[in-house]
Amino acid sequence: MNLALPNRGAGYRRERKGWVKIKIIEKKDIKNLLKEAVKEWSVYAPQKNLGGDVWFDALPKQAAELDRALDNIVLEDTDTLISSKDIFFPQLESCFEFNDGKIHETVESSPKLLFGIRPCDLKGLLFSDDFYKRNFEDKYYLSRIENRFIVVKGCIKPPRSACFCASAKTGPFADKGYDLQLVETPDSYLIETGSRKGEDFIKKYKKFFKDCPAGADKTISQIKKIACESIELKVDFQKVLEMMSKDDFVPEENYKRIGERCIYCGGCLYVCPTCTCFNVFDNFKDKAGERMRNWDACVFEGYTRETSGHNPRKEKWQRASRRYEHKLKYDYKLTGMSGCVGCGRCLSSCPVDIGMSKFIQEITEKRKTM
Amino acid sequence: MKNEYIPYPAVIEEVRKETFDTTTFRVRFKDKAFAENFQYKQGQFMEISVFGAGEAPISITSSPSKKGFLEFTIRAAGKVTKGIHNLKKGDSLYLRGPYGNSFPFEEIKGKNIYFIAGGIGLAPLRSLINMVFDNRKDFKHIKLLYGAKTPEELCFKDELEAWKKVPDTEVWLTVDKSCDGWGCRVGVVTELWKDTHVHPENAVAIVCGPPIMIKFAVIELQKSGFKDKDIIMTLERYMKCGIGKCGHCNIGEKFVCVDGPVFNYEQVEQLPHKEGVF
Repeated sequence: MNLALPNRGAGYRRERKGWVKIKIIEKKDIKNLLKEAVKEWSVYAPQKNLGGDVWFDALPKQAAELDRALDNIVLEDTDTLISSKDIFFPQLESCFEFNDGKIHETVESSPKLLFGIRPCDLKGLLFSDDFYKRNFEDKYYLSRIENRFIVVKGCIKPPRSACFCASAKTGPFADKGYDLQLVETPDSYLIETGSRKGEDFIKKYKKFFKDCPAGADKTISQIKKIACESIELKVDFQKVLEMMSKDDFVPEENYKRIGERCIYCGGCLYVCPTCTCFNVFDNFKDKAGERMRNWDACVFEGYTRETSGHNPRKEKWQRASRRYEHKLKYDYKLTGMSGCVGCGRCLSSCPVDIGMSKFIQEITEKRKTM
Repeated sequence: MKNEYIPYPAVIEEVRKETFDTTTFRVRFKDKAFAENFQYKQGQFMEISVFGAGEAPISITSSPSKKGFLEFTIRAAGKVTKGIHNLKKGDSLYLRGPYGNSFPFEEIKGKNIYFIAGGIGLAPLRSLINMVFDNRKDFKHIKLLYGAKTPEELCFKDELEAWKKVPDTEVWLTVDKSCDGWGCRVGVVTELWKDTHVHPENAVAIVCGPPIMIKFAVIELQKSGFKDKDIIMTLERYMKCGIGKCGHCNIGEKFVCVDGPVFNYEQVEQLPHKEGVF
């Protein structure tokens, strides 16, 4: 799981002992930094769109469009509707083109700079990296992450009321896996360096970064402590993992009740940073076409339905249970990590108010929450 | 990095009709060296592409003891399998694999073997059956218990006749609906327990068929005294990628495509049945 730290060498170990000073960048300099960075990277940053929603999108390269986009960047603690997973695992992508029997592979590997992703989403990415490397390697995903630079923006206040990263120990600040991490203060960001690549980045764009006055590390600890306390939603995450690891722990009635309430829209799976399921199909016309894949969801009735019509998970509740058991039980059993990163998007996006945190409360506190 | 999703071109060199909707295709990779070096194990499957129709996982029915070609017995059921049925000798299709684990072979040497199959479920077993017959002296008594809907729908009819003639080998057939001249039993596969003795001593049972058939075959085998670990089956599951990524074939933390498709019943029992194993 050291993907974000490929150059981990002697230099990096020195940094961990605190030899690298905390840097500082003025908020007003961020635009100029990104203007420089787009020359070398595909830069992704949270931007407010016409509808007022914040999406993690690529910055355009042309000057006029770039200026407009930079004005729309939102680094404050605003809800990004879906996680940044679609940069590496797009909702719809081409696997290869075929023309009269000839196959042309479509693999994308441009250098990508993620500016301002949240610690929970970083955790989701690291989790997915591991998944796509396991068993057979997935070239499409792994090519996209080949040259990836991650700037995390820690959350001062939880962007969603459903956030429970402090309980899941995935936020509100990242402890590893990033190249740089921004810690917000009123006029500037204090910058923690998490890798050799991060150090090189600061050297390269040194005109934007200054040394911090003494005591910055104490300021950072203080900010992180307050940020942690500002997350009101708390669940007993470790307890649920332990309880779920016992076979058949959750009573069937719970799943049946959730199964009755769920409307099977798949929204929770689309917004989830660690959901990786996909469907495969061909687009085809006149001997030429493309093999495509797109997001799929285990709550859909057709997800397990076989050609004969037989469906091993034909009951709604069987499909509703799969999501909870996968994230909290099987992922944990297989990797020692939970597949839930505590971002809370499943709850905040759910039309019928079902979500992972409520499920955890229901199990650990033995009370009906949904 | 190898792109596991890219299939390799192959050509259909023989088409044999098994039943009104089921056909066996013999294919060979176009690249000669690749075809000769290609290896697979009994019970594994390939992802077969017909561009435009899509891709589907199909078990290899030929025996690994025969090299150079692959055989697939395919029922025209969905978009891809119908697409394959539209192809004829000399046409191209595209393959990647082999994927999945395999039936035990070395481990079952010296044992009595019961093959229990329903319908097209005989196709994946045929790979192991022919491998066993190619090494006949290494195995004890062999019984095949095979059921289909009608006599017409029995696959591999010539081979069924040939297998009967192998020493120490019995072939027992049954159909749901008989026709004139049918001399065998009428009823589901487990009805064959009335025709022949099914004994667990030094034996393994290898089962493949529709989910409901597997379920009842397991019950009968257990009643006959078979231990769960000696009941071996290959599971069917809706599958897309074949390499443990797309998620469709997951049961608990297992992927049928990577951890299976072959499981013994002891392993099957440990899968979360609420997720629907059969």
